Amino acid sequence: MFGKYDLNEEIREEDIEIKIGGRGKIKRYYRKAGNEEIEKIVSAESGNLYVVPVEPVNLPKLGVAEHLMIELEKPYIIEPYIEDTFYLKFPIEIGVFLVDKRDVERIDIFTMAKQKYILYGSPEQGIICRWWKSNIYNDKPEVNKTQEGIIRIDIKNSYREWVEVKKLVFRAFDMKIFYNDYAYMHAYINLLKKTMAETAFNSRKPKNMNASIDIYEAKGIKKFEKKFVMEWGL
Amino acid sequence: MNITAEISKVLNHEIMKGVTLLDIFIFIVIIAVAVIIAKIVRLNVRRALKEKVPKTTLATIEKLVYYTIIVIGFIVAIPYIGFSLSGLLVAGGIAGIVIGLATQTVISNLISGLFLLAEKPIKIGDGVSIGDVGGVVKDIRVLSTTIRTWDGIYVRLPNEKVFTSNIYNYNAHAARRFEYKVGIAYKSDADKAIKIIEELFEQHPLILKEPKPQIFVEELADSSVVLIIRIWAPSSEWYGVKTEMLWKIKVALEKAGIEIPFPQIVVWKGEEKG
Repeated sequence: MFGKYDLNEEIREEDIEIKIGGRGKIKRYYRKAGNEEIEKIVSAESGNLYVVPVEPVNLPKLGVAEHLMIELEKPYIIEPYIEDTFYLKFPIEIGVFLVDKRDVERIDIFTMAKQKYILYGSPEQGIICRWWKSNIYNDKPEVNKTQEGIIRIDIKNSYREWVEVKKLVFRAFDMKIFYNDYAYMHAYINLLKKTMAETAFNSRKPKNMNASIDIYEAKGIKKFEKKFVMEWGL
Repeated sequence: MNITAEISKVLNHEIMKGVTLLDIFIFIVIIAVAVIIAKIVRLNVRRALKEKVPKTTLATIEKLVYYTIIVIGFIVAIPYIGFSLSGLLVAGGIAGIVIGLATQTVISNLISGLFLLAEKPIKIGDGVSIGDVGGVVKDIRVLSTTIRTWDGIYVRLPNEKVFTSNIYNYNAHAARRFEYKVGIAYKSDADKAIKIIEELFEQHPLILKEPKPQIFVEELADSSVVLIIRIWAPSSEWYGVKTEMLWKIKVALEKAGIEIPFPQIVVWKGEEKG
């Protein structure tokens, strides 16, 4: 379902239906996802429609959260000073963009994944995160492509003791999402203490994948590589 | 008569010592140009940064840019009306005492405003109660703070009042809690009611997973078993969640056959023996 489309197109996958088309410049955009429907009128001579996975923090309302927390089904314990790699699932939101040579405009965002939020830290100092729960997988797991993506985790224990991890928190601003027929991210976790870690993303495009449209860059916000510090527990 | 010479004579006429009408005219023009430039720059800064920085930061940047340009204009213009900056600083010391006494309230508001900006107990866009005024903070200026009350009224509070009042900021923390009390009939199963409410909350995205909602029997009251329901929601969204959920709880409980009773009294009628 993800990809670049002309402005006369019909896309269907599972419970999702996206249509854009019409005569002349005036086009009708229609989207149905589950029971939710939306319709917009687009005036365009050229350009394309992109349907891509985006950072999962836009729904039900933009501004509620800027972080994603993935809670692990079972706690993960790692030996001092070793590195490991595993995979998790993360929720996706699907963004629909109009793109021409000059500009990128987000016209719709929807999700088929369950939406739930959680507080990370204390009410005074903590942050609201989009919540998701995932098992740990040794290899890339099978995912429901309209609801979930795969995130590769390269984890490193830089602390002198064994560390137990129950959750990982990522900043949406740092995310770099890629896609072919499913969404994919690659994150780094550096465990600094028993209760503190840094999370960051690899922005290098994997082979045979496309970079998704970044909602922050689409808004004209310049991104620079940063790390998020999980300081309220792992 | 030569008109040019006449205009020149008028313009060069000394009003005060060393200050001509032309100097005052130049002073006014410089200040006016500075104000115009400041407004244009502020507008462009607003347009350029509107979607890139938070509202509160944008307001501060706008003010900083605006007043910096005005102050620069003022520094450039002031020698034209016979003041030198060094003279101003000396005179400022004496004048400061006099003006300070005469404008105690203004100074008090100004100092309070500076403390408010430094301490930041409130930000633009926060929902607050300050003294007896409740609403959304629209602006924090040097002398006053403006609030749009919950019912849409514009209120200007002097900063001194804001600084010395109790401030309740509903958005200062990431999450906040609210609660409902729901009475169910004595014949209904409280455990079942709690489970139904928990399942309902699990479906709502903005009822936080952690801290977990708390639901428990608080009181065995006259007409009902009273359940306390405590919910945590993001501070920016709590009111919407609060207005939405009570009715949904009622509908969900009734759908499951759990009765929410009216106040009732059981009357026993005695009969005389024999």
